[in-house]
Amino acid sequence: MLALFRTEMVKQWRRPRTYVALGLLVLIPLIFTIALKSNPPQPRFAGAEDAYPFLATKTGLYLGVAALFFLSRFLLVVVLAVFAGDAIASEANWGNLRAILVRPISRRRLLTAKLASASVLAVVAAIIVPLNGLILGGIAFGWHPLDTPFAPTQSVSHILGSLAVASAYVLWSLTPVIAFAFMASTMTDTPAGAIFAAVGLYIVSQVLDGINSLGSIRSALPTHHFDAWTELFIRGSGPTSEMAHGALLVIPYTVVFLAIGWWWFGRKDILS
Amino acid sequence: MVDEVVIESLALTKAFRAGVRAVDGVEFAVQRGSVCGLLGPNGAGKTTTLRMLVGLVRPTSGTSQILGVTIEPGSAVLARVGTMIEHAAFAPYLPGLLNLRLYWESAGGDFAHANLDRALGIAGLDDAVHRKVKTYSQGMKQRLGIARALLGDPEVLVLDEPTNGLDPGEMREVRALLQRVSDEGVTVLLSSHLLGEVEQVCDQIVVMDRGRLIRTGTVSELTMASASAYVEVDDVARATTFLQGLPGVTGVRAEGPGLAVELDGATRAHLVRSLVEHGLEVDTVTSRHRLEDAFLGLLEGESS
Repeated sequence: MLALFRTEMVKQWRRPRTYVALGLLVLIPLIFTIALKSNPPQPRFAGAEDAYPFLATKTGLYLGVAALFFLSRFLLVVVLAVFAGDAIASEANWGNLRAILVRPISRRRLLTAKLASASVLAVVAAIIVPLNGLILGGIAFGWHPLDTPFAPTQSVSHILGSLAVASAYVLWSLTPVIAFAFMASTMTDTPAGAIFAAVGLYIVSQVLDGINSLGSIRSALPTHHFDAWTELFIRGSGPTSEMAHGALLVIPYTVVFLAIGWWWFGRKDILS
Repeated sequence: MVDEVVIESLALTKAFRAGVRAVDGVEFAVQRGSVCGLLGPNGAGKTTTLRMLVGLVRPTSGTSQILGVTIEPGSAVLARVGTMIEHAAFAPYLPGLLNLRLYWESAGGDFAHANLDRALGIAGLDDAVHRKVKTYSQGMKQRLGIARALLGDPEVLVLDEPTNGLDPGEMREVRALLQRVSDEGVTVLLSSHLLGEVEQVCDQIVVMDRGRLIRTGTVSELTMASASAYVEVDDVARATTFLQGLPGVTGVRAEGPGLAVELDGATRAHLVRSLVEHGLEVDTVTSRHRLEDAFLGLLEGESS
């Protein structure tokens, strides 16, 4: 199992698309930082999208928070969908899947190794986003405690701790996207199809969540509690009960999607 | 041990969802050290049969056995089988050599124990083995695919159209290679639509058409089973009409300037006599016992 995982990791690390995806996660905060430095925003607090850029100019630590906030809304979702949606479908697309499965390798083992390697990349992506923001913010604005009349006072260690929790929460909240992309990847020979399906799931969930008249149904949507982590910074408090709800809510989605993927791939005829 | 069955298809059947029976109750056995050719027109079910034999496709009914073990996806016995199904495929962004290493190591093998020298000798890629596979021609990929199948010194080789994309010289090398590994005791099952190639390499033939097994046997058994003749006459159209109604003739088709005639009971002498008595002038008559004729005769007999 370890050998299979190791070979999958080599394949992932040697793929140009891995570097393009991770590179985008580095590049966009860089552009954001340059923009903030050259054109500092005025204090406006209509929402997190206004508050974080302004606070980032007060302490570079908040550039990590801003990077997580902006990238997790779409680009990080796409990147994680790419890592998971590409896992099986790209091998099928090349015709290489049959070369792997004519070896004494059970399909369950292959799926486990593929999911593990995609998960490692997902973790790397989820670490890169805030870490890159912190580094860029430190260079551009320095690391200071947050002490402005516009937000609760927060120490450096508090911000760093909250950012670590927030990053973990964002990654965990996106596990249904990863699981759905992986499930779709077992069903198609077209990687783009699996990726779009997973991003589509996320978008549909977000759109439905915006329809107030859906009432309590919205609270069952996988993205309903997605932004709950922002409370860590808005209130300067610890993890909230909404975060706990959000963390629990994604479990059944993830389990069901993965179970369908495993069941499907176990029965699938390898024709490509 | 000569007659030891190494590959066995036991009533393999595959029906796809649309109700199409791609393979229908196919039974055959391949003895140790044989080179068995799986023949059939496009859509005969050859590739689906090979896929079922190595666990890529689940049979609707029936089973396959290799080296006495019933094959399931990921069966341990597959470590003793080298396989190349359809065109050889690799991770295109990785060099050829790294593709071989990852293929080998994925099943827990130590690459130092792989028969790399022989594999690279077969691939004949020289320094290109360090280049990314996406820069390879189809022939280079195909050679690398055969090399990959032989990495583990397999006891059984299952190859689907192994000479696809190869030039005539490379095809000859592959034929020689198959003969060599067969002499070493490796059992080979290959599908091909190149009948001349199969005739040169295979000592056992399995003929399929529309998912069903038509005939098994040695090349000589098959060619003798279907006698045929080639005739050139002064009026091809009239001769065709006449021969189609002649007892002992099972098939007539135009071939070049003459006619290929499948015989079942009629002799060539009878054929010539009948044509002459019918007022036709016969220029040429030759006996034809090549595999191609036998194969086409079998398919025609099956469709009529």
